[in-house]
Amino acid sequence: MASQKNDILQGTLVLLILRTLASNRRLHGYGITTHIQRVSADLLRVEEGSLYPALHRMEQHGWLRSEWGVTEKNREARFYSLTPQGRKQLAHEEESWARLTAGVARVLRHA
Amino acid sequence: MAWLRRLWTTIRPRRMQRDIEREVSFHLAERADQLRAEGLSEEDARREARRKFGNVIVQAERTRDVNVALSFDAFLRDARYAIRSLARTPGFTITVLVTLALGIGANTAVFSAVDAVLLQPLPFPEGDRLVRVRQIRERSAESNVAPVRLEDWQRLNAAFDAITGYYMEDVSETSGEMPERVRRAWVARRFREVWGVDPAIGRVFTAAEYTVGGPLAVLVSERYWRIRLGADPNVLARSIRIGAVSIPIIGVMPASFHFPDPEVDLWFPSPVDFKFAQSRKLTWFFGIGRLKRGVTLDQARANLDAVQKELGRQYPETDGQLRVDIVPLKDTTVGSIRNSLWLLFAGVSVLLLITCTNVAGLLLARGTHRHQEISVRLALGASNVAVVAQMLVETLILSIAGAALGLILAAGAVAALRLAAADLPRINEIAFQWRILAYTLVTAVVVSLLCGVVPAIRAARASTASALNEAGRTQASGRSSLQWLFVGAQVALSVMLLAAAGLLVRSLHELSRVDLGFDPTHVLTFRVSGSYAETGDYTRLLGRVDGTIDELRALPGVESVATTTFLPGVPMEFEQTFALVEARTDADRRLAAESRIVSAEYFGTMKMSLVEGEICRRQPFGAPTQLLVNQAFRARYLSEWPSPIGLHLARDSFMAGTGTITGIVANARDQGIDRSPAPIVYTCFSAPNPTPAFLVRTRGEPEDLAHTVRMKLKELEPLRSVYDIAPLEDRIGGAFAQNRLRTVVLAFFAVTALVLASVGLYGTLSYVVSLRRREAGLRLALGAVRATLVRQFLVQAWRVVVLAIAAGLALSFLFARLLGGMLYGVSPADPVVLLTVMVTVLVVATAAALIPATRAALVEPMQVLREG
Repeated sequence: MASQKNDILQGTLVLLILRTLASNRRLHGYGITTHIQRVSADLLRVEEGSLYPALHRMEQHGWLRSEWGVTEKNREARFYSLTPQGRKQLAHEEESWARLTAGVARVLRHA
Repeated sequence: MAWLRRLWTTIRPRRMQRDIEREVSFHLAERADQLRAEGLSEEDARREARRKFGNVIVQAERTRDVNVALSFDAFLRDARYAIRSLARTPGFTITVLVTLALGIGANTAVFSAVDAVLLQPLPFPEGDRLVRVRQIRERSAESNVAPVRLEDWQRLNAAFDAITGYYMEDVSETSGEMPERVRRAWVARRFREVWGVDPAIGRVFTAAEYTVGGPLAVLVSERYWRIRLGADPNVLARSIRIGAVSIPIIGVMPASFHFPDPEVDLWFPSPVDFKFAQSRKLTWFFGIGRLKRGVTLDQARANLDAVQKELGRQYPETDGQLRVDIVPLKDTTVGSIRNSLWLLFAGVSVLLLITCTNVAGLLLARGTHRHQEISVRLALGASNVAVVAQMLVETLILSIAGAALGLILAAGAVAALRLAAADLPRINEIAFQWRILAYTLVTAVVVSLLCGVVPAIRAARASTASALNEAGRTQASGRSSLQWLFVGAQVALSVMLLAAAGLLVRSLHELSRVDLGFDPTHVLTFRVSGSYAETGDYTRLLGRVDGTIDELRALPGVESVATTTFLPGVPMEFEQTFALVEARTDADRRLAAESRIVSAEYFGTMKMSLVEGEICRRQPFGAPTQLLVNQAFRARYLSEWPSPIGLHLARDSFMAGTGTITGIVANARDQGIDRSPAPIVYTCFSAPNPTPAFLVRTRGEPEDLAHTVRMKLKELEPLRSVYDIAPLEDRIGGAFAQNRLRTVVLAFFAVTALVLASVGLYGTLSYVVSLRRREAGLRLALGAVRATLVRQFLVQAWRVVVLAIAAGLALSFLFARLLGGMLYGVSPADPVVLLTVMVTVLVVATAAALIPATRAALVEPMQVLREG
């Protein structure tokens, strides 16, 4: 599994979902996968198997809220949006991501 | 608010499920749309979408899992999964089940005894309010009450609903072909109020029946009614015969009414105006009272104390020195079995702890084997909590199944206990009811938490770690150190139990070796029924008993015959206060000593040796009383007299009067073979009561003479029955049955503990060896000697075992506190016992360790290296 390049590292999925919902006020699960895939220019692909558990866990933490709605194709879908708490969490996750990448970059450069 | 939502999803799992399904089907539809747009056919697009998503149902379940880890639904799913996975490893499952069944079963069995004997109230209405009421005199063991004083207490107290009294005797019922011994209780007024039990048939005694010369009346037990009267519905029209008197039956008590002891079959009213009931000195009633609702023991004590103080002012001579004591009836009923039961409960709880540790060790090992499975589950998105919960559910299922098996074991154990300990108080009240079931269930849950938590967390954590770094191998050593800790704990606890059991065994052994000072072998004992009415004419009573002694003496095979109040060697205290008439100071005057009233033949029959003076001689009633004292009495009280022969001792209670010391006998353990000889005064009188115990020294086996004795007595006195006939050694042994029983049971627990600990040690070392097979093979290939390898593994085991033994010895000093008063002739730090235990444990542990250690050395190097 570790060899598949477009798999999303555990933990970063939450960050990606939070970021996606921060820029798109309201999205369903499928929308989130296509958004991440599109914005990352197909570099990242969200495993459906991890997406929904992650969404539900995040909803439980109070970072997301969900409601049922209808898409333009007239299908019933569950739409997720960010709560103020989720916004705070996003800031937090972004910060630790920045720290991590900076750290890794330094190691790659100097080690 | 999150918890509220979780609660909601837990309550409404179905709606939750529907939501997830809807969400997933939306996702699949969108994905299929996209795939179709990319050119796939309708069919292929749907299949591909589904494939990408994985199993829809699994997805739904896993998604929900996050929300409702605690829901019953998840529990059921975990349970199904657990059962499947347990069925795949039958060896592990059976080992754990047997271990748990043993631990929980033994625990349940002992608890059911503790519950019935110690925790449950006595089987009377509000039995907790029943107390024994005693009168206490300084330096005296007498606690019975004079009936007239009891009436005063009843009249003056404010703490009791009622106080009553009783005494018991064995008589012959003579309406049948052969006289039969029945035990009867004379009960004082307010019998009904105190016990709170009505006759099942008929009525209780009337006031007139409680007077001398009033109408005769008797209540019979349900057993007597059933067996002797054929459950006659017309029982109230019938009567029984005691001696030559016919007494009408007025009622039948219910089957559950076992009072004062389960052998009592008849209840008679004890007349208030009876001559002997008027004396303030004659104390022959056992006092019993029912506390008023809400009155505590202390309040009742204070109240009755005040009453007695008042009586002391009124009757300074007889009541001035008296105090009162109140003890819950349950305590006096249960007696010394209390400590034994708590000891066994402590022992069996330690055993349960060992069981838990053992199972925890097994679970740890299993966790390692399931490493792969757990890693996969974690990688698939299951949370740590879910994994831990799943493993705990598995342990819970094991525990409950183990407990169910344990219940069966316990039922068997209780049945065995009832057989082995039929004489113990309340033993028949042991029953399996919902309380026991509830206890077992709670035990199972506690056990599964105790056994399961650490292994479950370990397994989940280790797998998380290794999922990231793939360095599972380094985890193994860390986990095996926890396993060693568990093994060490088991060994230490086993050492503790073995030491305790060893001390008890040694005590029994010491007891059997002690020099008794009398010879209990070849002695037949029995009693002959009699009535207290006979004490109205002591000349006749004495004549009867002495006559019986002579007649039996003349039988072939009989060496000598004697009577005594209490069987020698059977623990019994009967302390009286004597006054030395010749004392020069008041301080010397009052002497407390054990009192034994025996016939003149007693000393010869029991082969006790005379040290000084001479043995008393048989005399008619009314002759001056002759006394013998033992060496302990002489040493304690008469050391300053060159020869105590001819000194006089007086007493004012039972057998009042003054007697002359005619001789001194060597110390003997009359008052119990486990007690070192106390000062004893022997009063020579063969019939202090109508039913003294007979002692017949026989040439052959005492049992062989039992029939001859019975026939002879039938010929002599056809209206009397012979009962309690048994060899003296059996009677003494019977008195220590409880000691033996608790020793055997504790020893059983200890051995079981050692076996479990050995299994734990074996399992752990096997595991360690299996981890290091490669290493062993490599070293062998590089030229290591096999013996060195074996030694290395053995040393690893020994290090743990030796530390554990040391810890166990320290623990055993703590545990020995529970043995207080149960040890005889050994100290809690008895070197023989402790050394034996240490060596035993070391040998057994080595044997258990040797097998896996040898296995390591037998590794074929090439094979292992090829495997790698």
